[in-house]
Amino acid sequence: MKERGKPNWLQLLRVYGTVIAAILIMIGFSVLSPASFATWDNAVNISRQISFLVIIAVGATLVMAIGEFDLSVGAMASLGGVFSAKLAVQGSPFWAVFLIPLGVAFAIGFINGWIVTRFRVLSFITTMAMGTILGGFTFWFTGGTTIFENIPESFRYVGQSEWLGIPVLSFLMIFLTVIFWFVMANTAFGRRLYALGGNETASRIAGINVHANKNLAFAICAALAALAGILMASRLGSAHPTGGNGLFLPAYAAAFLGMTTFKEGVPNIWGTFVGAAIIGILANGLTILEVPTFMQDVITGVIVISAVILQKLGRK
Amino acid sequence: MSLLQVRNLDKTFGKNYALSGVSLTIEAGEIHALVGENGAGKSTFIKLITGVYQPDGGDIFWRGEKVDIKNPRNARDLGISVIHQDRHLVPYFTGLENLYLGADYPKRKLWLGIRWDIMREEAEKLKVQLGIEVPLEKQAQDMSPTERTLLEILRSVRVGCKLLFLDEPTASLTDQETEMLFRLLFRLKSQGTAIIYVSHRLDEVFRLADRITVLRNGQLAGTVIKDDVNKDSLIKLMAGREILSSGVKKEAEVNSEPFVLEVKGLRTVDKRVKKAAFSVRKGEILGIFGLAGAGRTELLEAIYGIRPKCRGEIMINGKVLAKPSPAVSLQEGIVLIPEDRRGQALIMDMSIRENITLPVLKNYTARGIIAHTEELRDTEDFITKLKIKADGSGQAVQVLSGGNQQKVVFARALMSRPGVFLCDEPTQGVDVMTRSEIHRLLRNQAKQGGAVVYVSSDLEEMLEVAHRLVIMHDGETITELSAKEMTQDSVLKCCYYPRKESEPSIEGEG
Repeated sequence: MKERGKPNWLQLLRVYGTVIAAILIMIGFSVLSPASFATWDNAVNISRQISFLVIIAVGATLVMAIGEFDLSVGAMASLGGVFSAKLAVQGSPFWAVFLIPLGVAFAIGFINGWIVTRFRVLSFITTMAMGTILGGFTFWFTGGTTIFENIPESFRYVGQSEWLGIPVLSFLMIFLTVIFWFVMANTAFGRRLYALGGNETASRIAGINVHANKNLAFAICAALAALAGILMASRLGSAHPTGGNGLFLPAYAAAFLGMTTFKEGVPNIWGTFVGAAIIGILANGLTILEVPTFMQDVITGVIVISAVILQKLGRK
Repeated sequence: MSLLQVRNLDKTFGKNYALSGVSLTIEAGEIHALVGENGAGKSTFIKLITGVYQPDGGDIFWRGEKVDIKNPRNARDLGISVIHQDRHLVPYFTGLENLYLGADYPKRKLWLGIRWDIMREEAEKLKVQLGIEVPLEKQAQDMSPTERTLLEILRSVRVGCKLLFLDEPTASLTDQETEMLFRLLFRLKSQGTAIIYVSHRLDEVFRLADRITVLRNGQLAGTVIKDDVNKDSLIKLMAGREILSSGVKKEAEVNSEPFVLEVKGLRTVDKRVKKAAFSVRKGEILGIFGLAGAGRTELLEAIYGIRPKCRGEIMINGKVLAKPSPAVSLQEGIVLIPEDRRGQALIMDMSIRENITLPVLKNYTARGIIAHTEELRDTEDFITKLKIKADGSGQAVQVLSGGNQQKVVFARALMSRPGVFLCDEPTQGVDVMTRSEIHRLLRNQAKQGGAVVYVSSDLEEMLEVAHRLVIMHDGETITELSAKEMTQDSVLKCCYYPRKESEPSIEGEG
């Protein structure tokens, strides 16, 4: 139970434990590898590396706030990537290359929500199946091959250029994080999403349009996932039909880590940001220390489980 | 030697006695009816004997030996079973599988499979022994309510049940099915099983029971032999003699004001409400009373628009609500105080402030952005006005006491400046202080021109609060009592002798 008025160190540890852990990890890497890790260039690099993850995880956080899951975000990102790359190759205008895939993703997300709310199908099942469908489409769409030929320079601009020495991707990531933090914390829509996640029946009785709000959360989540995929394709200058799939698990890992931060047990945007940062810093630092990739996965998994357990223990 | 003997059984929840000093004896081969008003302690009694709760005082003797029933399994091993309204069957298991649920399946050696043939044979034998037919190949979810009840009884008998509790078993049965159930009960009785039959339906009680025990406010009002009493004397026993007619109303009736809410011929899709009609005037507190399962909660839910209706009209200030929904209701000034505070009213992990403004967020937003300063000011105002004990409006409602949580629910209701309050058991589980505060608040709202529809299972509270009473039975509003006609006696008579009003009703055809 919360005690007001006298914040003790245990409570601080519970609320900011994950942030403290992130700082400790950074200090650790800085000590172990001061020449490569603790540099401005590497910091910039990390911020670019985590930008896709942050964007997709922010979307997942919205859906988690309403007490649902969207397991199709990975496949959605892949589809977004190849779709926009294909449009770029065909010479579509700059805006169309971005906005058409985002619009399609938004609609697909809305369908996810519609199936969940209208037919009361578990979101777990709905979005898993949707992910499979999207994966199938992406393969059909690309013939299973990577799109890399004739990608115009304009498509690569967003992913590869820098402003004031900082990647555009990093700016975008911060911008979206701030926007969605604001939406979740300061708008009626955000409040309603949290209310739905807290108690759907009570929210309905309080006059909230359950279906519309939930559908919108799913739609935004899918659009952000597609955006992550597009940016990734733009960064790489190529789009692989399963390119975004790998973002799916880390995105939820980030969101779960985030739930242990700032707001206890509640999905929140800055928490998700910190969670994604931890995952990104770990990947970066461990690579610098030449730890093999499979070990990185093990370490990331252990950290997520430990964080959640620690938070549960702290609550008792 | 008696089968079950209970001496001075006590059970408290917090400071309140749910059961106090109840003594009772059950003999083998008797059907013993247990009756009493809502909240008299019947369910508590069942739960104590079946090991769901532990008594705080008193002794239980089983076949002359003192026993300590620690859990339901314990009770079952002794031979005590209970058939609940919410039946304990696995929906997608067949009858046969459910019959053996929790028991050891007859198996071949070395885990080489279950002996279904033995199970089937045993089950057939049981069916013949009891003279009933239960489709054992059917999944429980495809069975009718009777079939499920019979299956559960079969299961109890299979594990050697000596004492069987039946809690309102006929609530969802047709007359014919009820007959079948009764034949089975008489058969069980003749084979020496004792049955404790809990029901509001006094006709059934008089048909079945050998003896009747009446509980009142958690205390034993008396155990009587069936032939020594009639319905009237039983009802008197349930109500308590000393408070038969306490008819002094403090507030005058409201007669001249216009109707705010009118309901005609209302029926819900699920038929929990079959035919309901009533109207409430401006400034009036209308009570709706009925026994458990009469459809009071469902009626309020249908009006508020969370339980779909298929027939009838709801009018607010003379205007027909075409498609009731919570959003429409709030807009028209109708608020619902739901019965289940934690499940239906509050979002437990959100703050007091967030809970209070949830339905009226629109008033605190400009282009979707919340004006935190105004929100804070208004909610802090309400916290002071309603004397909600909390450390500010940012506190999570989770940590508040039941009474203060209910005040948060009322604060939220007041936020939308409602004209009609639909209150479902608003004082359940709140302390005495809060209870009278809630009564005062509603009276004030009525005085200021609001209309209140008040549902409570507490008859005394009802008589104290309501200007007028509508009695519900089996999904229908059957009688209306004016302040002069309202006494414990008359209300319970209406409930237990449900006479449908013969006057031409204003039932809307569709």
